[in-house]
Amino acid sequence: MSIKSLALCRTAPYGNALAREGIEAVLAAAAMDQAVDLLFLGDGVFQLLDHQSPADIGQKSLRRNLQALPMFGIEQFFVCEKSLAEREITLEQIQVAGAETKTVKDTGSLIASYPTVLSF
Amino acid sequence: MPRRAGHFTIWPPMKFSLAVYSAPHSAQSASSALRFAKTVLQQGHEIYRVFFYCDGVQNGNATAAPPQDEIDLTAEWQVLGQQHQLDLVICIAAAQRRGVLNQREAERLERPAANLADGFELAGLGQLTDAVANSDRLITFGS
Repeated sequence: MSIKSLALCRTAPYGNALAREGIEAVLAAAAMDQAVDLLFLGDGVFQLLDHQSPADIGQKSLRRNLQALPMFGIEQFFVCEKSLAEREITLEQIQVAGAETKTVKDTGSLIASYPTVLSF
Repeated sequence: MPRRAGHFTIWPPMKFSLAVYSAPHSAQSASSALRFAKTVLQQGHEIYRVFFYCDGVQNGNATAAPPQDEIDLTAEWQVLGQQHQLDLVICIAAAQRRGVLNQREAERLERPAANLADGFELAGLGQLTDAVANSDRLITFGS
């Protein structure tokens, strides 16, 4: 039971429930000691942005869930370099305490290196 | 195994799990999931589990009443599930948010009705993790 899987986070944090439910699934897997890596790409990179104010639109903070991930042993986040550049987001804006952010140029090869991929 | 145009045959037999994220009548992918399940079973593969998550939990809503000339995915899953003893699991957290409850949950949460369709069961996200660990392939049918 030690197959490492990759979770793709592809949606912005508050427009669609998939972003939250994806992170919840990752937390559940991590709590069961299943190794999961995360790759943020497309609008999913917005999940990592600091200075979010979701309370203004009646939403709970998703970033708080991301901040819990290091406590469950997920200490690195892969982030698509091209997705960041397209949205003019810098690495400084997407730091999460306790986790190392690694930019990825060739997301295809990264995805292909995992036996199982969860897509959110 | 032969491969025909527009038609793949996967060989050797594999153990599949399906993750379904969309509700019937909202996105085609809910219907695609059922068609995929039927096809892999027909080709001799095994389905370890079907995990309904996000809006996909509505596939297990027994109170949905689609027009007669439209596909009733809940009924179709029930038939397929019975034929092949499928493990049709609805994520309990996602289902509570969207009002898909069994008798026990309806009573516990003090809601007026239970509507989980027969043949489906409510369980936690751990069942998705377990499916990932125990299947050769996880196929996601997104929203």
